[in-house]
Formats: sequence, C-alpha cells, structure tokens
Amino acid sequence: MFYLRYLRNELVRRRTRTIVTVIGLGLGVALVVAIASLSKGLDRAQHKTLDPLSGIGTDLTVTLQPQQQQDQGFGGGFGPGGGGGGNRDLIRANQSVLTDLSKLGKPGAHFVHDFFLPGTQLTFQQSAAGQIASLDGVAKTTTGLTLLAEHQEGIVPKIVATLKTQAKTQTITRNLPRPSAQDFAKMQACLQKLGVTLGRNNNGGNGGFGGGRGAQGTGANRDAFQKCLPASLRRFRTRFTTPSQTLKQVLNPPQTNITTTAYTIGGVDQTSPTMGVVTTAQLTKGTFLSPAGGTEALVATSYAAKHSLKVGSKLDLNGTSFTVVGLVSPPLGGQSADVYLPLKQLQTLASEKNLANVILVHAKSSSDVAKVKQEIQAALPQAQVASSKDVADTISGSLVDASNLSHDLGLALSVVAAVAAFLLAALMAFSSVGKRVRELGTLKALGWTQRMVVRQIAGESLATGILGGIFGIGLGVLVAVAVDAFGPSLTASSTTGSDLANLGVSTVRTATHSVSLTAPVGMTVLAIGFGLALLGGLIAGTAGALRAARLRPADALRQVE
Amino acid sequence: MSLYELSGVARYFQRGPTTVRALDDVSLEIEPGAFVALEGPSGSGKTTLLQILGALDRPSAGTVTFDGSDLVKQPDSALAALRLRSFGFVFQQFNLIPTLTAVENVEAKLAPVGGTRERALELLAEVGLAERADHLPAHLSGGEQQRVAIARALSVEPRVVLADEPTGNLDSATGGEIIDLLANLAAEHGSTVIVATHDASLAARAPRRVTMRDGKITGNVSAVPA
Repeated sequence: MFYLRYLRNELVRRRTRTIVTVIGLGLGVALVVAIASLSKGLDRAQHKTLDPLSGIGTDLTVTLQPQQQQDQGFGGGFGPGGGGGGNRDLIRANQSVLTDLSKLGKPGAHFVHDFFLPGTQLTFQQSAAGQIASLDGVAKTTTGLTLLAEHQEGIVPKIVATLKTQAKTQTITRNLPRPSAQDFAKMQACLQKLGVTLGRNNNGGNGGFGGGRGAQGTGANRDAFQKCLPASLRRFRTRFTTPSQTLKQVLNPPQTNITTTAYTIGGVDQTSPTMGVVTTAQLTKGTFLSPAGGTEALVATSYAAKHSLKVGSKLDLNGTSFTVVGLVSPPLGGQSADVYLPLKQLQTLASEKNLANVILVHAKSSSDVAKVKQEIQAALPQAQVASSKDVADTISGSLVDASNLSHDLGLALSVVAAVAAFLLAALMAFSSVGKRVRELGTLKALGWTQRMVVRQIAGESLATGILGGIFGIGLGVLVAVAVDAFGPSLTASSTTGSDLANLGVSTVRTATHSVSLTAPVGMTVLAIGFGLALLGGLIAGTAGALRAARLRPADALRQVE
Repeated sequence: MSLYELSGVARYFQRGPTTVRALDDVSLEIEPGAFVALEGPSGSGKTTLLQILGALDRPSAGTVTFDGSDLVKQPDSALAALRLRSFGFVFQQFNLIPTLTAVENVEAKLAPVGGTRERALELLAEVGLAERADHLPAHLSGGEQQRVAIARALSVEPRVVLADEPTGNLDSATGGEIIDLLANLAAEHGSTVIVATHDASLAARAPRRVTMRDGKITGNVSAVPA
C-alpha cells in the first residue's frame, strides 16, 4: 500500500525529526504516567497508614482526656476514681512510676521492672462501654487499654537514709495585751447573756483576770468564759509535743546504672479479633491471640525487629512470661502499641482491674458516624471522641507532607505535564507540517484532494503519537519501577500524650510507621498518557495539514521551502 | 473543437497596497495534441497562466473553458479530479517528494487512481531510469530528477502536460534532452504539452510559440507544418 509506505518513509527518512518528536512526546507522557503513579502510590500509602481507624474495624474512638475544669460524677463510672483537677488525675494515674525503687529489691540487687502508665489517656471503668453500646446507631463497642510502659533495668540503688527523731515538748508563753474598757464591757454583756453574774468588785481587776478566773468557775461558767473572752486573749499559753518520727530521706543523686526504655503496650479484647486496638487484619505473621486469653502477646513488626523478637519468642513482663504468637503491623493513631496482650492480662500487670482507657465504637453505618459522635459527646461530656479523620490529622511526617504535596501539587503537576506534552506534540506536528507546505502543494498539484492530504498527515501524526506514547509509557513505567526499587522511605508519626514535667517522666508516645514509596502504574494512567500523546499529535498534525491543504495549490507551491 | 478556450482572463495579486496584474485580459485557444511554448521573460505571467491552465489557480476575471466546461465554475474537488486524471505537471524545481524514491514519486501520482508499482516502474523505464528506481531524489542528478518528474506527469496518460521552466535548473545539453524526451513521450501518449520557458532556443523547438510580456500575450505564432 503506497500510502503506508509513504507514511513509513516520512517517519524513517526524517529520522531526526521523528526521534525528537517521539522523545518530546514520550517525556510528556512519561511525566504524566510517573506523576500519576506516584500520586497513586502516595494515596495508597496514605490510605493504609493514615486511615488509622478503619483498619481496626472502628469508626470512632472514645478516650478520657484530662481537663482542667472537671465536672464530677458523670454517668456509668466513666471518669477517674477521684475528684480534683486534671493534672492531679494525671499524676495519680501515673504515680506508679514514682514507686520507691527500694521496693524492687535490696540495694545492689539487679532488677528488671516494667511500669505501666496510662499517660494522658486516663483510665475508666470498662462498664462505660455498655453505656455507649446502648446509644442509637452504635453497632458494636469494645474496650482497650493502651499504656505507656517504662522498662527499667539496673541495680537497685542505695537511695534512702532512715533517720529517727525523738519526741519533744515545747512550751510557748506570751504576754497578753491589756483588754480595753470596751472589750471588757462586751465580755460582761456576753457573760450576763449566758447567765453568769459577776460581782461588781470584779470588774476593775484587769490584771488578774484571765486564767485564775476561769480556773475558779464552775464547768458552765468556764464554757461561758471561753466563749466570751475576746479573741486576742484566748490561748495565751500553749504547750505542744512533736511525736517521734522516722524520716526517709532520698539521697540525691542515687548511685545507680538504671536504664529506661519506653514502649507502648496495648490490652486487646482477644475475643473480638475483628475490632479492637489491633485486629487480625494487621497480622503479618503467626496467629492472633487465642480467645482464652492466656499469656500470649502480639508484637508490632518494627518493635520485633528492634528487639529481635520472633513468633515463639518469650517476653518477660514483671515475672510473667508471655509467648509471642504473632507479629502485627498496627495502623498509626492514638491506639497503636508495640506490644499487645489480652486485656485482662494487661489489667492485672498494670493493676488496672476492670479499667480501660479507650472505647472503640463501630457505627451501624458510615453515614451515622457524625451522629453517633454527637450522641457520645452528649452522653459523656468528658469523653474525647475521635473519628478517623481526627486521628489522621494528628499524624505527621514525610508521608503526610508528600501526600499533601501530591494532593495539592500532584494534580496540578499532572495537568501541567499533560498540557506540556500536548503542546509539545502540537508544536512539533505543526512546525513539521509548516515546513512541508510546498510538498503538500505538490501533492495537490498531482491531484490529491484536501482529504487525502490531511489523511496522510494525520496518519503520520498518529504514528508519531503511538511511538511517543509507547516510548513515554515505557519511560514512565521504568521510573515507576525505579521508584518501587529504590524509592525513598516515607515516615508517618503519631504523637499522643504530653510532657508531664512534674512526673519526671514523659508520657509522650510517638508511633512511627515507615512506608516505602511505591508507584503503581494503573491501566487508566497508561491509557490517559497514551491518549494524550495520540490526541496531541493528531489534533496538531491535522490542524496543520488542514491549513496547508486548504491553500490553493498555486499558493502552496509558491511557498519557499 | 479547441481543448482550451480562454477569454478575458486576468489574475491580480495584492502585494500590500499595490495590485499586481500578473495576467491582464488574456484570450487564447489551444488545440488538442499541440506542443505549445509559453515564451517570455520572468515576471511576464507565464507561470500564472500555466497554473490557471492546470487548475492550480483560479483567475480573478474571465473564463477558462477546458474540454467544454468552465473551470472557473468548478468546485475544488472537481479541479482536484481534473489535476489527477487530465493534467500532469513538470516543475522547474522538479518538486519530487524528498522522502520517496524515484518509483515511489511516480506512485504518488498513480496511487489515487489505483495505479500499480509495476506501472510506475514501466514509466521509469520509458524515461531511462529503470536502474535508479529505488534512489531518493537527493541521490539523483538534476536531469534524472526531471525525468522522474516527467514519468510522474505522464503516468496517468493526462490530456495535458504542463511544464514550468523544466530546463531552468539544468545545463543546456541536459535541457535539450529533457525537452526532446517530453516532446516524444507526449506524442506517444497523445498528450498536449504546454511548456513555459524564457529560453528562446527551447521555445523555437515548439511548433507553436505564445509570447508574453507584462501579463499580456504579445505574440502567437504557429509554425507552418513542413
């Protein structure tokens, strides 16, 4: 077929032009493919990591946050054990870390101990979950206990000196000021009112008043006297005894080699494997906690890697040995932890019987979430109710930056790249046609109709577009593969809790997830990139050809090559 | 009946504020099978007249009757069809498609009428270029390129071959050969030939000479057949 040979010859024999056009188109298409794929990869990573609640089968989390102005006694035992301000609650809740180290053993003995602290997520009675479960629109609730663990290891220091003090009696005598006549008259009136009559001769004896008078009076009179004495005259003399005391004084600083490592530990209702602070969905190795709730543990993959833990490893916590049954990759968010135990086991370890610090709520339908959130807040004003989005908002890190960037810029960049590819294709096709006006005039002189000329040029443009598209897709896929292979690792961190300076420990808990950036290439992206290359080349080529072919052959022939 | 009947044909070009009269009131008749030389200095309007005769351009005024029908009234598509089947062009610059081989250049004219590659090769053989059929124009000499152009022009057995300064880019010996080739082949194929040239010696070879100056016909001489 002559026309196809002509087309091929145009592409092959004007090689430089063809290659430049194909590369230009290809770069544009590759850019579109690469950006779209990266954007998709980020979205995926974000979906996986930054949607922390859906991964644990939950729509809302309910926690109790310390508040400065505290309303007491709200329903169902949801609230910290006692009254007082928020900081006091926090200190009380976390005071186990202040435990006297001397209780861990004799000075000089080696000790290993894990302190479990609720941090800023105060604990409350598990029964509060029932109150939420009864709300409209709530499908299911479960409780969890997420604690900050301080793992301390070292030698028990000699930190306390014991001092015994003796009892001491001290006497204080004071000279009293003389009462004024007015005071005296007042006292007299007071005494008369109480039925005590004083002799007239007595009213002048100021100096000897006081104790002598009281000592002589009857019991009733003495009481009356006590009441009527001016304040300034009461207790002119006192005697007190300080009791014998044993004082323990902390030696400052204690000589020791204690090392502290912090990690997070979560209590899971092992009977609810699809909804909880960790679920079977996050299991990457091994099995989930057995429903019986024995001494089993799940360990986060990152924590396991750091501490060389495997399925089957033993984890010793304050004398109880837990068997690691599975590794999990928990989603980020307030409720993720490094180690998970059955809830009851953790409650026992942490002396938090029947206490939890998070209620996970699953709404009947996703459209109910906002309503349920309001209901919970109304029912439990002290509760902090967080939706997936709220939790996601607290997550930070390069992944968040990148995905924000991809959301803000990715689309714009894609559009720019696409437009650039399109314009480039158009420009190349247009200029190449512009240089061939005389050739096209010759074709018309030979008797080619306008349609035939346009068809020929459009065919060339289409072929160039196909080549550019293929090249671009190849290049784009290559970039995507390269990103998959050598892609940077993006991190996402979630920080909960706050520094409590007065506790001497930080209850800040930071969970970090590292996600390797991937760039999955979708068929849609490829099709769009390919289509753009075709369309750009075709439209521009056809437009150029139309312009040239519309010329009268005589005018076209007159064009200087 | 005449092949061409031109009456009062004018062609104006607007060059900025001035109007250039490339053709001014040209009337002419051409018989079928004639070999006509359009003679005149450059700028005399030869090329413009040739383009109007070949349906490459339309006159600004006047009528151009070809084979009984007025070209001025024909739509573009009809003119394209005429150019395809009835006219063959030979240009001073050869106007071969640079990316096509000699034989492919001939095919460019044949393909729209369903002509084959074999036919194209036959024509190249007629102009003595059978062995250079697969050469690109860039690898052919000027004379060879013009032969390809002649083969291309004659490939569809056109009624008229229109040649615009066909020897303008060739040395005089080659030019002579080309004119002879054109005259002989046109006679064989039964085509009318109209050649525009400023070379009086070439024009002298033609049985009929139409002389032009400033867009007007100044001489119209038919040699008396010997």
